[in-house]
Amino acid sequence: MSIVDILRSDGRVSIPDATTRDVAARRALAIAGVVPHALVTPSTRAALATCVRDAAAAGTAVVPLGLGAHRALGHRPARYDLALSTRALTRIVDYASADMTVTVESGVTVAALQGVLAREGQWLPVDPPLPEQTTVGGLIAADLAGPLATSQGRVRDLVIGTAMTTADGKEVRAGGRVVKNVAGYDLMKLMIGSLGTLAVVTEATFKVRPRPQTTRLLVLACADRPAALALASRLAELDEVALAITLLDDGDTSPTWQCLLGGVAADVDVVTTRIRAAARAASATVAYDEDGAAPAAAARLAVARDLSRTAADVVVRAATLRTRVVDLAAAMRASVDDGARVRARVDPRAATVTLALETADAGAAIARLRAVATGHGATLVVERWPDALAATIDVWSPLPPALPLMRRVKAALDPAGVLAPGRFVGRI
Amino acid sequence: MSIRGPLADADRAELRRALVAIVGDDGVLAEPADLRVYECDGYTLERSVPTLVVLPRTTDEVARVVCLAASAGIAFVPRGAGTGLSGGCLPAEAPLMIGTSRMRRIRMIDLPNRRVVAEAGVVNAMVSRAVRDAGLQYVPDPSSQNACTIGGNVAENSGGPHTLKYGVTTNHVLGVELVLPDGEVVELGDAIEETVGYDLTGVVCGSEGTFGIVTAATLRLAPLPEAVTTMLAVFETVAAATTTVSRIIAAGIVPAALEMMDRTIVAAVEAAYHAGFPTDAGAVLLIELDGPAAGLPELTTRVVDICRDAGARSVRSAADEAERAVLWKSRKRAFGAVGRLAPSYCTQDGVVPRTRLPEILARIERIGARHRLRIGNVFHAGDGNIHPIILFDERDREETTRVLAAGHEILEACIALGGSVTGEHGIGIEKIRELGLSFGVDDLAVMQRVRAAFDPARRANPGKIFPTGAACIEQRTPRRQAAM
Ligand SMILES: Cc1cc2nc3c(=O)[nH]c(=O)nc-3n(C[C@H](O)[C@H](O)[C@H](O)COP(=O)(O)OP(=O)(O)OC[C@H]3O[C@@H](n4cnc5c(N)ncnc54)[C@H](O)[C@@H]3O)c2cc1C
Repeated sequence: MSIVDILRSDGRVSIPDATTRDVAARRALAIAGVVPHALVTPSTRAALATCVRDAAAAGTAVVPLGLGAHRALGHRPARYDLALSTRALTRIVDYASADMTVTVESGVTVAALQGVLAREGQWLPVDPPLPEQTTVGGLIAADLAGPLATSQGRVRDLVIGTAMTTADGKEVRAGGRVVKNVAGYDLMKLMIGSLGTLAVVTEATFKVRPRPQTTRLLVLACADRPAALALASRLAELDEVALAITLLDDGDTSPTWQCLLGGVAADVDVVTTRIRAAARAASATVAYDEDGAAPAAAARLAVARDLSRTAADVVVRAATLRTRVVDLAAAMRASVDDGARVRARVDPRAATVTLALETADAGAAIARLRAVATGHGATLVVERWPDALAATIDVWSPLPPALPLMRRVKAALDPAGVLAPGRFVGRI
Repeated sequence: MSIRGPLADADRAELRRALVAIVGDDGVLAEPADLRVYECDGYTLERSVPTLVVLPRTTDEVARVVCLAASAGIAFVPRGAGTGLSGGCLPAEAPLMIGTSRMRRIRMIDLPNRRVVAEAGVVNAMVSRAVRDAGLQYVPDPSSQNACTIGGNVAENSGGPHTLKYGVTTNHVLGVELVLPDGEVVELGDAIEETVGYDLTGVVCGSEGTFGIVTAATLRLAPLPEAVTTMLAVFETVAAATTTVSRIIAAGIVPAALEMMDRTIVAAVEAAYHAGFPTDAGAVLLIELDGPAAGLPELTTRVVDICRDAGARSVRSAADEAERAVLWKSRKRAFGAVGRLAPSYCTQDGVVPRTRLPEILARIERIGARHRLRIGNVFHAGDGNIHPIILFDERDREETTRVLAAGHEILEACIALGGSVTGEHGIGIEKIRELGLSFGVDDLAVMQRVRAAFDPARRANPGKIFPTGAACIEQRTPRRQAAM
């Protein structure tokens, strides 16, 4: 029975709350060209659980989403009957500021959460692309690590508890609300990066941190790409004051390093001096040096942060070891043919290279980038590609050796395969 | 069905022969005197002698041993150093114990990428020792770090004093090599930070040996801090000390470590080690700040001010590395001193939100008074991770009953205050009942389903974490054990 039948069969299935079959609303959540039959936005966790249970019982494929900003991640769903949005689950459940923990429903956006935390001088030290459109559930399900991840920890290091609705429509919990806890399995880890294929995250508890006393953004403009890459290892060695270090190479202007510093003023000063010395030695110029919280600084940081979500035909992200990232970045950039417009971001500490391309031949570009990544022992995620490639593309490479075990985990939690079927690694 | 009870003599002899064929004669223990060593871990209340202990040297040997057990349908229990405090490696429902004590190789040290691959039997402190000259460290530092193994740390997701700022084991493990209960060897995670697929490494951390045998782990190293300040703050009352902890955290300062000892523990420590602690104080805090050198004086001043505002009698910084070492030694060996206070003692491990520390300690005191028991406290205050130590005499059955009741009530109080029944010691066999205070039937059912993906026949460390229904262990007396 499809969701269309469910919605027609009055009284048999209680898809609650706002359910819409409005074409525009559904099209807005299309994934790789597939439009869901309906969109449901439950406003309570109980309603969400009922919805999943009823849909699953009818064999309806459910793709969990927040606002859909990151839905291009992952394979085209094998089936996509119902888009289940958590966007109406927006309660701040418990903000224990003095304990440095916060519990929120999964539809709260990262930007909204940061607003709440800022009132107490705190923050969740994550910087996913498009924070206004990124829900907490999306942050977790897509594991949106931004440039802060190396210094502040990745999403997996910040989540201390979750509630989630499993495929049989039960809301279960793992972890808790305290910063240290080993009671039961750490099921939070399974949710992170799982793209909604194991359960629907409905609530999460995070460790939060005090906002740094002082922040400062330094931007170094480099003569050319080799000069910029030559600075990578120096900058990667900076201590904990260096909150985020990224190289932005947009092809139009000269490559720039963005160094976001934060901490006690005296420490920030020391690191600023070190960075200025490194810049001088590499003949880079300091193009900007201001309070990191100033609007102009925030705007510059947002450019790097959002690079993977700006208009492009192809976005890839490669990850490797620190010692290989410079070679990888150079080789990936060189593999792209001259006709293409390329914007690149390199994080020398996380050892990641992100490339956004505008190119007429996406398939060929991806194939070349994949070959380069493989040659450098890197993993590659194709974060965006033209819909036409949906049937054949390998979003992730290489596939992990534990893929069969991952399939067993999926089968254990979602035996009927109703949650985001086909979306994940190996089309799980 | 898997075999969980003792083996018949003929089966035992046959299994022994087959194991010897894999690991050699010296790798199989079968003599009663040898086996007795393995009858319990740091949780000594329950004992059960394994039928056989096998000590493989390589992953391949582990895989062949596990295959053998699988084909014979025999359940097994993994064991590291046996310092666990919740009976995790008690061979209660598994005849075969697989120990990692001969897997002590550090397979790879990659200094530029700050990675180490250590075999499961490597002792925790050996990792930091191996990279110290390069200015690096492996951060998680359980107080048992000179004995406990990386495999045990991964299995328990262990903490330690310095996990307040830097996180626990799971935050530093990038990948594991795991022998599944059917004998298959799987690589989970990678030396690369962003791996592909579900984070199975993350769920193996803290799985207490129920997913198979971890044979090696890829660990992240961190630079040693540029500067360190270690302070001892002395308070008239426990309430003043715990209030200080809450205020330091609330002020947005994240110390590297923030540990508390109350009067009972200080008295024992002072009698044992003569480190110069004031025995008339209500409580002391050991506060360590670390990080870049330039900003440390300012942070130190702020912490000192907070201590003074909360009524600290004195705040003293360790003048040098030697003084710092004395403070830490006293803290880490506090358990050793407790033995002089009473014939027996029992350590609890619970967690509360940090602002509730004054409340939980007041409750612990009331619970102690009600049950006419003396309770000392030495714990990871900055994490809200309490370790009340109940003093008693286990020969006194009636008193023992009161100890059990008090322990359970303390954990109930932790839950009532929004906390957890274990912060680092694990559920093991000790807290199977208490796990139900934190989680409902549906929560536990999902955990069991995940377990089934790794171990469908439940042959890896059966009878731990979850109630089995069958062998519910009711006969409990508290144990004599370490306090940390
Ligand atoms: C004095 C003292 C102080 C302590 N301080 C701390 C502290 O500060 N913080 C803290 O967190 N803990 C502490 N502990 C508890 C204990 O040391 C830790 O839990 C430690 O990680 C156990 O390691 P082990 O090698 O002794 O493991 P074991 O006790 O041998 O085993 C523990 C569990 O892990 C499983 N296991 C062991 N090896 C493997 C493997 N290779 N693969 C799969 N499963 C395995 C076992 O089956 C068992 O369930 C302390 C203990 C003592 C005695």
